[in-house]
Amino acid sequence: MSRSAIELDFFGMEKELSPPPKLPTFARRRSFRDIQGVISKINPEVLKTVIANGSSGLNKSVTVPCTPKEDHTIFPPLPVHGSNLRQSCEPKRSAETAPMTIFYNGMVAVFDVSPHKAKDILLHAEEEAQKPAESSDSKGTGSSSDQKNILGTLNGDFPIARRKSLQRFLEKRKERSNMWEPYGRTNKR
Amino acid sequence: MKEQKSIKLIRCGSSSGMGSGGADETVWECVIPYVQDPRDRDAVSLVCKRWYQIDALTRKHVTIALCYTATPERLSRRFPHLESLKLKGKPRAAMFNLIPEDWGGYVTSWVEEIDKSFCRMKALHFRRMIVIDADLEMLAKSPAGKVLEVLKLDKCSGFSTDGLLIIGRLCRNLKTLFMEESTIVEKDGEWLHELALNNTVLENVNFYMTDLTKVRSTDLELMAKNCPSLTSVKISDCDISDLIGFFKAANALEEFGGGSFNEPPGQIGEGVFNEQLGRYSAVSFPPRLCCLGLTYLGKAEMPLIFPIAARLKKLDLLYALLDTAGHCDLLQRCLNLEILETRNVIGDRGLEVLAQFCKKMKRLRIERGADEQEMEDVEGIVSQRGLIALAQGCLDLEYLAVYVSDITNEALECIGRYSKNMCDFRLVLLDREETITDLPLDNGVRSLLIGCEKLRRFALYLRPGGLTDLGLSYIGRYSPKVRWMLLGYVGESDDGLLVFSKGCPSLQKLEMRGCCFSERALAMAAMQLTSLRYLWVQGYRSVNRLDLLKMVRPNWNIELIPARRVYVQDANEQVIFDHPAHILAYYSLVGQRTDFPTTVMPLDPNALLN
Repeated sequence: MSRSAIELDFFGMEKELSPPPKLPTFARRRSFRDIQGVISKINPEVLKTVIANGSSGLNKSVTVPCTPKEDHTIFPPLPVHGSNLRQSCEPKRSAETAPMTIFYNGMVAVFDVSPHKAKDILLHAEEEAQKPAESSDSKGTGSSSDQKNILGTLNGDFPIARRKSLQRFLEKRKERSNMWEPYGRTNKR
Repeated sequence: MKEQKSIKLIRCGSSSGMGSGGADETVWECVIPYVQDPRDRDAVSLVCKRWYQIDALTRKHVTIALCYTATPERLSRRFPHLESLKLKGKPRAAMFNLIPEDWGGYVTSWVEEIDKSFCRMKALHFRRMIVIDADLEMLAKSPAGKVLEVLKLDKCSGFSTDGLLIIGRLCRNLKTLFMEESTIVEKDGEWLHELALNNTVLENVNFYMTDLTKVRSTDLELMAKNCPSLTSVKISDCDISDLIGFFKAANALEEFGGGSFNEPPGQIGEGVFNEQLGRYSAVSFPPRLCCLGLTYLGKAEMPLIFPIAARLKKLDLLYALLDTAGHCDLLQRCLNLEILETRNVIGDRGLEVLAQFCKKMKRLRIERGADEQEMEDVEGIVSQRGLIALAQGCLDLEYLAVYVSDITNEALECIGRYSKNMCDFRLVLLDREETITDLPLDNGVRSLLIGCEKLRRFALYLRPGGLTDLGLSYIGRYSPKVRWMLLGYVGESDDGLLVFSKGCPSLQKLEMRGCCFSERALAMAAMQLTSLRYLWVQGYRSVNRLDLLKMVRPNWNIELIPARRVYVQDANEQVIFDHPAHILAYYSLVGQRTDFPTTVMPLDPNALLN
């Protein structure tokens, strides 16, 4: 049985997965850190080049910042990591893509993205905006630990996997706890 | 010792010459069947043709560590009179939801061969494999079905209670039916009824951690009445108060696991607690019960166990609802405890109690509890404090698996110094705390490996900075007998792995996760480890896919599970999991398998190069 060359398709973009019926939530800790982790490893100059290449066939341009607020210029992760890297190798000309303009950290970038990818990007941005208000599921306190999480290991942190049997037990216990103490914990069980 | 025996036999064989060949033959035919250890049998079969034949004809049990390393036909050709077979399928990582469900490991072709060739098969153990109802039906109706005494469907999936029904009806010599943690499609509870009706020799019935809910407690009681030898029963959730009749009938019972306590927590106040216990207070455990695990056991129900605590040898608190204080209260009464499984809610304090009171501890497994603070006791963390106490107090420890929140070199040194019987040591450093007291663990790991001379299995799962390349080289140098290793987030660079792989002379199976090694280093390591026959890696530093070709060689299968995104429908939302790529490589006598699902790909050197 002959197979085509193996492509490591990190986000499974090539796969024929039926799109989820409603906006999915990401396993935040993992995917967000993974994305940021990967992006932070890429040389900012390379990043700019890739974006420029990606958009070159599509009539759009990237403006260079005049007063960058931070030392490292990081473009919004998703358009670069997902679609644009692919676009730099095989330019796509999909009739369904539309321009998306992003203002970030004193820089402007414009990309042609499909509605699906646009949703992804918006979702991530939304998450990021909501992050400080949520109960922290990252280890430390404050932004310095977030930064540490983000910069993770070379391969992108993935959390310690949990045993199936324990996972099920913890879920069932949570359900029981909610069932009997719908107004919060009264005594510990 | 046993090797020396084998060598002696060889010498006798060669010195007695050809003249008395007939007498010698009879001697070997009589003696070799007594050689049981598979490694010894392996040695025996290599001596000469005649010994190979004797081994082949008299071998009773074979374990095939990965079902794709051989075919059923080869097995029956080599060992035609086999009576016991253990087969393993999916990688161990499947127990952690990391492997696609349809990865493979189908038992069908094996069951077909059993039906055709193995009429004496008495014991079957399928672990992490896919079993369908048709397989169970074929097995039940095969010649082996009549003599089958042990059937273990261990963490398997693909079958339903209909398949179990046929087994229960036809396999009347079944002494052990084990299905722990299997995923079973439940149609009804008839299978247990059938089993209870038709069988009188059952000793061990286990459907623990399955989600079977339609099982009737009356059938359990019937089974207990009909099977006087019933010694071990582990079930899915079933209210304990419904088991009163069962416990009364199961007079020979030594082990029980499962059930559940379903009374909602009452208000604080003695009256209500007594009442609560009242429903369960009629429960009377069988006289020989010494291994116990009760699901959702809480503080209020603990007094039920007190009367038998002193004779407990094995206690399962993995699915109990005790806090640290509860553990301390219970464990101090378990003076004969040898095996304990629980979550890290036991805390350092609980380990100190173990060290003080449970001097006979042999096997201790401490799993990871919930991450959310409210769900577990604040005290419920394990650190160097608990480990040091444990090592000093429980000198008979043979197996220790623990999730720690903090660790020091001293704790590992302590284990090396005191735990002289340690055969299996597994440590996972949780990622909740940002700062760990004492990293890297190079010296502690070295001391542990040198001190624990009997170590056969070793797992170390840390974080970046947890173990340097030097520390990794220590593992290579000081683990002469270790056959299985799981390494997570260890080392700093490819060099570390390369030095490591010059050692580990006995390492047969290596699992790695979250490591910083490139394809080149992984391939070279695979070539350098002299005993390696199985390699699993998830999370590595991908530099050049083509470097994997460096480990291409005959009889070495390489499979890849490319990175994938999995959508999981949780109660109210969809959650996305991104899984990094896996590499799986293993020796096989029979070339690449032919049942790959879409998520798994064989490494095709030609395709990669083009």
